[in-house]
Amino acid sequence: MTASPVAQVVTVASYEIRKYIRGRRLLGILILVGLIVGLFLGLPPALGIAYASTPNAFVSTFATFASLLVILGGVLFAADALVSEHEKRTGYFLFPNPVRREVLVLGKIAASLIVCAAVLTLYYGAAAIAALAITHSLTWDIGLSYLYALAYMTAVVGIAYLISSLLKSTVAATVLTFFLFTLIFSIVGGILPLAKIAPWFIPTSASGIIADALGGPAVGPGPGGGPGASFIPDPATSVIVFLAYAVAGAVLAILLFRRRELSS
Amino acid sequence: MQSSRMESVTGEFPVHLEGLGKEYGHFTALKSLDLTVPSGTSLGFLGPNGAGKSTTIKIMTNLIRPSRGRATLFGIDVRQEPTRALARIGAVIETPEFYGYLSPLETLAYVGRLRGMSSSELERRSEAVLKEVKLTDWADHRIQEFSKGMKQRLAIAQALLHEPELLILDEPTSGLDPRGMAEVRDVIKSLKDQGRTIFMSSHLLGEVQEVCDDVALLNHGELLIHGSVRDLSRGADTSTFQTTFLSSPTPQDLEALATVPGIVEIKDGGDSTIDLRISGGEEAQARVLEAMVSRGLKVTTYRPLGSSLEQLYLDRIQESDRL
Repeated sequence: MTASPVAQVVTVASYEIRKYIRGRRLLGILILVGLIVGLFLGLPPALGIAYASTPNAFVSTFATFASLLVILGGVLFAADALVSEHEKRTGYFLFPNPVRREVLVLGKIAASLIVCAAVLTLYYGAAAIAALAITHSLTWDIGLSYLYALAYMTAVVGIAYLISSLLKSTVAATVLTFFLFTLIFSIVGGILPLAKIAPWFIPTSASGIIADALGGPAVGPGPGGGPGASFIPDPATSVIVFLAYAVAGAVLAILLFRRRELSS
Repeated sequence: MQSSRMESVTGEFPVHLEGLGKEYGHFTALKSLDLTVPSGTSLGFLGPNGAGKSTTIKIMTNLIRPSRGRATLFGIDVRQEPTRALARIGAVIETPEFYGYLSPLETLAYVGRLRGMSSSELERRSEAVLKEVKLTDWADHRIQEFSKGMKQRLAIAQALLHEPELLILDEPTSGLDPRGMAEVRDVIKSLKDQGRTIFMSSHLLGEVQEVCDDVALLNHGELLIHGSVRDLSRGADTSTFQTTFLSSPTPQDLEALATVPGIVEIKDGGDSTIDLRISGGEEAQARVLEAMVSRGLKVTTYRPLGSSLEQLYLDRIQESDRL
């Protein structure tokens, strides 16, 4: 007697979501979303600055930080999902059950995507409602930016799972995922154009379309950067890059997780 | 009897290990293990730490891959078809950790749903197994509050949930206090009485003697003995007897004793006590006592140290260590 693989994926996903809710990670990121939205809405009037007059300009402020939110989602809801079964020894209870490792990985990935998408939806929803209230209009570009953010999220989750299947420590997997997307990819994406190589294949460079869909980033890329230093591939290429990272990350994670032995 | 004949025809023994071996780099954890456990048998898988017991069990439950050979459960190769092979078993491997954010009831629901149990069946079985391992009062508490012993009992509960035909238990009383150990042994004995097949690893001989019908002794990844507890106990004719005298025997007394037929070794324990290793069963033991009394030695106690099976166990382990 064994449940079907699809039913098992649903079971694993539902228990993983429960873990994120009860482990207070979801609460933590929701507080962060509330803080970001609060600052974007509260600071301009407090400092006597007028809000942007068009919905695209208004939401682009939010979109600029959507990438960071996606990365935090990957770090909190994906990076330790596989490695923890080995490190925390929960695999000794879970793996002797009649469930294939790929089913476990797929269930966990589904849970990570659902939770990350929910956070992102809430963030964009808050931005859209605020834009409607302040500018009295909305555009399809906001929806497009949201879809790009979702596509970027799949890439981050895929890579996070690959890292989680490779490393032996939850802390190392979490730290590497965070710094890969906030530092390493950004550095590589910033240096490649100097060597006349377009960094279209770097996911953080491709993530520029999230804000670009709304007319460009509202906040500069940071010290040492500038408008001329950032390269953003065209939307189609960016989406293909995101999906390629998502699929390659997930497939490799499944293969590695299947091969990995549970021995103390 | 009919069941055994069926097994021999179909080859569907609950456990059948064939030339099973495992290497970790240059270290050989398991050499070439051949072992079969017929239906309804409770086998104690004995051996000191590092003998290869856990390695065998991990291969049987698909946690690690064998370097050679194969493990089949009910005739199904664990490597080829893990989900089918694991569907009919319940396992407790080492002291597993559980998800701290779940309660025992939720944990049982998780594994039950993975196994395709219906809600009503889950409710009925969860209640029964939690009662069996005495965790009913903790059914709704988060596991993060649990002690090691409570987690071990929950591990047994999840292994019993789907009423498996074969139970694979890796040191199931590890981490439990004496009362907890006795309770777990009682659970295993009652499962044995229900006719379940049990494969239980342990380094505690007394535990195996109390719970199991058959015993397999492993050391350095090699099977040293396999047989029924009763037959091996009968067959082992060497025992150690602790003997205490009213006053210490003289060196001449000890020299004379050494010539008595049946005495293999004499160890002076001090305080008028000696340990006599006697070969030849009960007759030899009586003869030795007679010889001591006839020599005028005033024997105050003459009692066996451990069982004959324990002696056999220690002898075979020492022998295998020397090789």
